[in-house]
Amino acid sequence: MAKAYNSYVKRDTFKENISPNVKIWPIFSYGLSAIIFPNIYLGLGLIVFLFILAFFSKLFKGFTKIMLGFGIPITLMLIFIHGFYGSKNETILYDFGPVQLGLEGVLHALKIVSSLLVFLGTFYIMNHTTYTGKLVASLTASGVNPKVGYLVLASLNVVPQMQRKLSVIQEAQTARGVETKGSLWHRFKVFVPLLGPVVLSSLTDAQERGMTLETRGFGIKNVKQTHYVEVFYTKTDKIIKYMLIGFFIVTLIITILMRLSVI
Amino acid sequence: MGKAKTKMTFVEGLKAQFTTKSLVLIPIAVGINLIGGSLCATLKLPLFMDMIGTIITAVLAGPWVAALVGLLTNIFLAIVSNPVYLPYALVSIGSGLVTGYMVRAGFFKKVWGVVLTWLACTLVSVIIASTITILVFGGATGATGASVLTATLIAATKKIVSSVFASSMIENLVDRGIAFLIAYVLVKKIPARFLSQYTASATRDDDESDDD
Amino acid sequence: MREVVVKVEDLKFRYREGKKRALDGVSFEVFKGEFFCIIGANGSGKSTLCNALVGLVPYYFTGNKKGSVVIDGVDTDNSSIAELSQKIGLVFQNPFNQLSYTASNVAEELAYGLGNHGVPRDEMIKRVEYVAKLMRIDHILHKNPLELSGGQVQRVAFGSTFILEPNILVLDECTTQLDPLGSEEIFDIVKELNKTGITVIMVDHDMERVARCADRIMVLDKGKTVCIDTPDAIFSNPDIVNYNIEAPDYVSICKALKERGYYSGDYKITEEPTVEVVKEALVK
Repeated sequence: MAKAYNSYVKRDTFKENISPNVKIWPIFSYGLSAIIFPNIYLGLGLIVFLFILAFFSKLFKGFTKIMLGFGIPITLMLIFIHGFYGSKNETILYDFGPVQLGLEGVLHALKIVSSLLVFLGTFYIMNHTTYTGKLVASLTASGVNPKVGYLVLASLNVVPQMQRKLSVIQEAQTARGVETKGSLWHRFKVFVPLLGPVVLSSLTDAQERGMTLETRGFGIKNVKQTHYVEVFYTKTDKIIKYMLIGFFIVTLIITILMRLSVI
Repeated sequence: MGKAKTKMTFVEGLKAQFTTKSLVLIPIAVGINLIGGSLCATLKLPLFMDMIGTIITAVLAGPWVAALVGLLTNIFLAIVSNPVYLPYALVSIGSGLVTGYMVRAGFFKKVWGVVLTWLACTLVSVIIASTITILVFGGATGATGASVLTATLIAATKKIVSSVFASSMIENLVDRGIAFLIAYVLVKKIPARFLSQYTASATRDDDESDDD
Repeated sequence: MREVVVKVEDLKFRYREGKKRALDGVSFEVFKGEFFCIIGANGSGKSTLCNALVGLVPYYFTGNKKGSVVIDGVDTDNSSIAELSQKIGLVFQNPFNQLSYTASNVAEELAYGLGNHGVPRDEMIKRVEYVAKLMRIDHILHKNPLELSGGQVQRVAFGSTFILEPNILVLDECTTQLDPLGSEEIFDIVKELNKTGITVIMVDHDMERVARCADRIMVLDKGKTVCIDTPDAIFSNPDIVNYNIEAPDYVSICKALKERGYYSGDYKITEEPTVEVVKEALVK
């Protein structure tokens, strides 16, 4: 249960050599493009592209798992809701008797799913090819408040530590014969004594941790924070960033033209 | 010392909330939210329980810190378990704000006040959550038990919006109720020495009477 | 005259929820380059005093503070804790809460304070290397600080305070997690640092160690300064028992020899002179 929440494992792929700063851009560029585009084809195309990207980033297996794991249930659910009960349904695809499957509803459902999958996929790839320490260092170097950096990193580190604490208490309770199975009410009664000590001890730790941070110069004014982790921003990074922005702008223009029925 | 406290602009008030003390509380509160959730999963309780830390923060450090705890909780849920949680960050932010401001107004001192806070928080959660479910996900996420409930309701009533609201209401009322109950019990147990550093906004020349 | 780097004047402090004052009139001066030890029974206010020296009292521990603490010419009331950290560094008792929780390895952990002070990266790497070698943690630089043993964390905690190169180091029982050998190692480092001109203010329960290291000792009782003197004077004073302080065993050895007429000089407080005294007595 206690695992590190840093999903990054060094894999030596080209994606890792791109500045973390730049890797945030695809989430917005691809994601927003997929949303605004009038039909589902751009979204689908981007999903295929992301699969290829995942393959070259040596993430194919995990990527496929999360895309299907998220994609299949929500697709079925939304096709059920919108395909059968959507208000815009006109063209009937199939008549089940009591309910009819409508084309418009199905397309609407697929549009939502494809946009979501584009967001999910870019997020996954960014998350798994970026070392969080590097991301934070790079963000603070480009002007993000160091306090934000602290919050991200500290949360990533504190959570697994609290889970370790929890499992220690859990083991102690089991050793004392507290059964964690049984009726719903019984399991609920077990919940509170397990959570309580972890919460209270963590809160009292917070005080000393705050003191530590300040005695180590946290929050000092008029000083630009530096980092042990190397921060870089190359020409390639710049080009990739502009290409991503360009992609969104082009999509936006095409969308407007399509909506205006020019194309 | 009353002078400094009474007249503060919104931005100043916001800054005053984000001291280092509050800042170190945030990751811990996010942790409480997350382990609450994962403990529910291990004990197979049909609840989220991802708000206990937010409520405790609202009591200790104020509405905006609590809102930030909510936001971060959902970001981490999105990273480690399911990206579906990301848009629902707005629900957590809203819950944090409502709880925080109601605590400020003194509602957390009496049991009936806690009940009112719970109801207000549930209402806000339901409105935001349903709006997101409908606007972002088109009615259901397929990821939670509520989705099945929603689908059943839609099949029965043929109305998407009201079905989403109804299932969200049932889900949130129970979940938030238990979360508030636990948070209330825990806040009562926090040692005075720890609480005092938050209740007093660090006055270095605290001129209270001293037995000289 | 020697330069005063720490000046505490009639310091009084009562915790908000406390009935009695934790500090009730503490005054002392510490000179540059001195090894100053603070001893006293549990609850005599040692930790509170340490926290006051770095500005944590009364900012973190709210309460009623009177009197003044001046560090290197700066009143702690007029400076933030972060700014003070360049002048005075504190190593706490519990090393686990001294981690920044932002580092994924020990090297980053050590460098954290430097980053806050805006030290450039090449300088940072040099200092991390130096401190890691000094604290003998260079073999664990790549490890996650949250997965270290207590002793290792204590070394990291010490290193990450010292890396900021403060002129004054405050050590509040900072070796509780270490085995005796490890503690001695840390104290050897502290003594080395002291020789290079760094002022050390140390709270410790091991009186033999205090006797060996200290230039001067302050005895604290119920939040009050009882006396400040050299180790020889403090430990040979029979009254210190009243403050729940046990003098090193060497004092009782000398005492016993004196009572039996084998020895007539001053009480010795450390190992080697006592050995000489015993040798002398054996000849008699």
